[in-house]
Amino acid sequence: MFSVIIYGRNDSHGYNLHKRAAISFNALAEVMTDPDDEILFVDYNTPDDHPTFPEAIADTLTEKAKKVMRIFRVRPEQHAHLKNKTHLVALESQSRNVALRRSNPKNRWILYTNTDMLLVSRNPKESLSDILGGVPDGFYQIPRFEIPEMLWEAAFDRKDPAGNLVKLRDWSVRFHLNQVVHNFMPMRYDALGDFQACLREDMFAIHGFDEDMILGWHCDSNLAARLALYRGRVDTLIDKAFGYHCDHTRVAAANNKGRKTTMNSHDRFIWNVSTPYLPNQAETWGWPDVEIEEVRLDRETSYQRFTAGLDRAIKPATVPFTNTSCEWHLFDDLTYDLPHTLPFACDQVLTYPKSTAVMLAATRPDFVSGFATAWRGMGFTGPILVPQECEGLPAGLPGVTTGHFTDLVRKTDLFVFEFGLASQKIDEPTRTGREASALDKRRLKVVEKLFREAASTEADTRPAHRRLARRFIGVNVIYNKYWPIFTDYVGANINPFCSQVLAGSPLPQPTGVKAKILKFRKRA
Amino acid sequence: MSKPSILQFLMRRKPTQPGADDLKSADPERRGQGLFRVGRTRMRRGETEAALGEFDQALKLLPNYAEAVAARAESLDMLGKIDAARPEYERARKLWAGQRPGAPDRSYLFRQRGRFTFEVDSYELALLRVKTGSFPHLACGNALLAQGHPEEALKCYDRALKIKQNDPDLTALKGEALSMAGRYRQAIEAFDFALAANPKAPETLNARGIARLGLGDLDGANADWRRQLELLPAAEAAARACVALRLADYAAALPELEKAVAHEPNELYWKLYRQTALSRLGKPADSADLLPVDAHPAEAAFQKAVAAAAIDRESARAHWRETIELGPVSLVEVCAAHNELSRL
Repeated sequence: MFSVIIYGRNDSHGYNLHKRAAISFNALAEVMTDPDDEILFVDYNTPDDHPTFPEAIADTLTEKAKKVMRIFRVRPEQHAHLKNKTHLVALESQSRNVALRRSNPKNRWILYTNTDMLLVSRNPKESLSDILGGVPDGFYQIPRFEIPEMLWEAAFDRKDPAGNLVKLRDWSVRFHLNQVVHNFMPMRYDALGDFQACLREDMFAIHGFDEDMILGWHCDSNLAARLALYRGRVDTLIDKAFGYHCDHTRVAAANNKGRKTTMNSHDRFIWNVSTPYLPNQAETWGWPDVEIEEVRLDRETSYQRFTAGLDRAIKPATVPFTNTSCEWHLFDDLTYDLPHTLPFACDQVLTYPKSTAVMLAATRPDFVSGFATAWRGMGFTGPILVPQECEGLPAGLPGVTTGHFTDLVRKTDLFVFEFGLASQKIDEPTRTGREASALDKRRLKVVEKLFREAASTEADTRPAHRRLARRFIGVNVIYNKYWPIFTDYVGANINPFCSQVLAGSPLPQPTGVKAKILKFRKRA
Repeated sequence: MSKPSILQFLMRRKPTQPGADDLKSADPERRGQGLFRVGRTRMRRGETEAALGEFDQALKLLPNYAEAVAARAESLDMLGKIDAARPEYERARKLWAGQRPGAPDRSYLFRQRGRFTFEVDSYELALLRVKTGSFPHLACGNALLAQGHPEEALKCYDRALKIKQNDPDLTALKGEALSMAGRYRQAIEAFDFALAANPKAPETLNARGIARLGLGDLDGANADWRRQLELLPAAEAAARACVALRLADYAAALPELEKAVAHEPNELYWKLYRQTALSRLGKPADSADLLPVDAHPAEAAFQKAVAAAAIDRESARAHWRETIELGPVSLVEVCAAHNELSRL
């Protein structure tokens, strides 16, 4: 019957985002009763190494919410062409259009709302699907009422949407919450963007949201103006449902700078709209030709993929615990526990697109075979690119391509550099003071050379389709001689030694002679 | 005062106050709308009971006045009479939905349904504050034009064009008003201007075709409609069907009508037009009388021509001529009749 379209990213947009979003997702799912109903969440521009926002809070969502939710992940690389045109990190029009293009064509209605709304039918026996199924074609709004922050934060149970709706019905009377704020036509009500229900075919006819609106605010009013022209009227469903907003003004959101807030122009996008249509984006709105990843919370989850990969690559531990040491006298010992480290290495790559091509420059053959097994097991379809300069590594592994470093570096989306001892056996104890053999040193030297070259030339060797820097993952680069080397070139956080893994984007390298000398002196 | 300020001062409009003339008018339409506006004003002032009285009076004069039914429902709701309000809300929605929209190949504004008194009232209020926006003028113009008042709509569009000069979309709407007023030559100039800015505007091509036909230029009209048909996306089957029918191209219309019937099975006109297309193509067609009871006389005449075409050419010719005489030039059947006659 209807597709709800909402958007966001895995960040901290205003106060206690996680709670209000979970409350909202669960409440929206609760009022859906038609099998075709869906919540479309566009996860816009979340960093590649983070999960999407709904994945991050999945444990707080009801089974129903997980079942009806489809997540469209717009990658930072897909936003890169707009990055310099806006101060915002998440774009409403683009997000909503990406979802609209990919919405279920069986659904008659599209409902635009936000991740902090609860929709309460006035007749408790009626679902939102019943309501929308029973009203004629049109463009409908409802008034939005505010819930004081204290109430939703203190009294709502994220996983009890039905109970929350009962509480709201009670509070609305006890605390006089229901105040309708009328507005100029075509907006009809204040904060109209929290409930705009329109026909899917109307949205296609008017070419979606205006994708020129990239400065934030008023996208909803622009849509109202255009749909009001198209339909002639803005109708109300005030007799059917009320919308409640989890107020979140304790901490201003990133796009709210008080009177200094940058906004899309009122005049241009509301008061001087002269047509419902956007012919300039008629063929391109919602990025029809861009492959957008779809993530589900009820199947093939990140956890399922992670465990599927690792279960193939490593066997369960047979002892209660193993040992290593970060004592400084062991600084030169490059042994590490592979079955312990592999999960942390896989954790760094799991959130990347399945089609990612990864370069793996390594010394330990068992790391390469273990990583390759886990990579396939996690559902990745992109190749593992192993430079032929790295000797002694297993050949003929499925999904592994070998070639010259200079060729492969232009094809990879991600780098993994592993600094271990080629001669280490799987059952050897770690960090006991073991010295590197001549062969180990030779292999390490190759990986180090390739790492320096890859990191210092990353911008020059980036594939043509990429605008953003590629990420570098270092394995066994904490509290040993490769720690300063890795962090000279890569902006990595300080991680616990136990994880063995660092990751980050390449740092800008000095270009002039003076800068190079200064860097050398600093390093010395 | 600077020039823009003078312009804004001159264009400043007072809030809509139904004149005494409206309330005393013998015309029930005018009086009913006047009462509705008084009721709305009272609602805004918080005089809800009094507003209800005004809406009741308006509805005595105009029982199908959906805006008044909706406003009455909201007033009852505000007074806590929820059970009484609920069926009234439903009734308003049914009344709006029951009105026949315009042909889907024409400008969006002709597909709107309602008297738009509420909207015009609201836009008039917006104009008290919004001095530099063309939108309220444009929206008022659309509402007036949809109700068949081209000269009043023209004034609104001219006001909008003073703010947003040379805007092609506004100019196209002005062209629609000129065309409805029978000022076809001026209308074509307006459409030419709009199409120069956006040559791929299907609705403007349709409108120019109608205006050209109004001037007797059937070839020019057909050229515009053919171009419109090329531009309309496949998903807009009903619009494509209507354009093909204007061209009296029944072979092109039939598959589109099949899709339109599948998409809107309750829409009588798609079934009627499918029957028409089948009949004109010499294919077996349902013999049921599908012509809606409230059909325009020109539509009835056209169906008589279709029925006669296979058996009595002269009778068909007479009915096609009758269609043209009875109907506005914008009617699908009138355009089709012109093309039918040109082939006889």
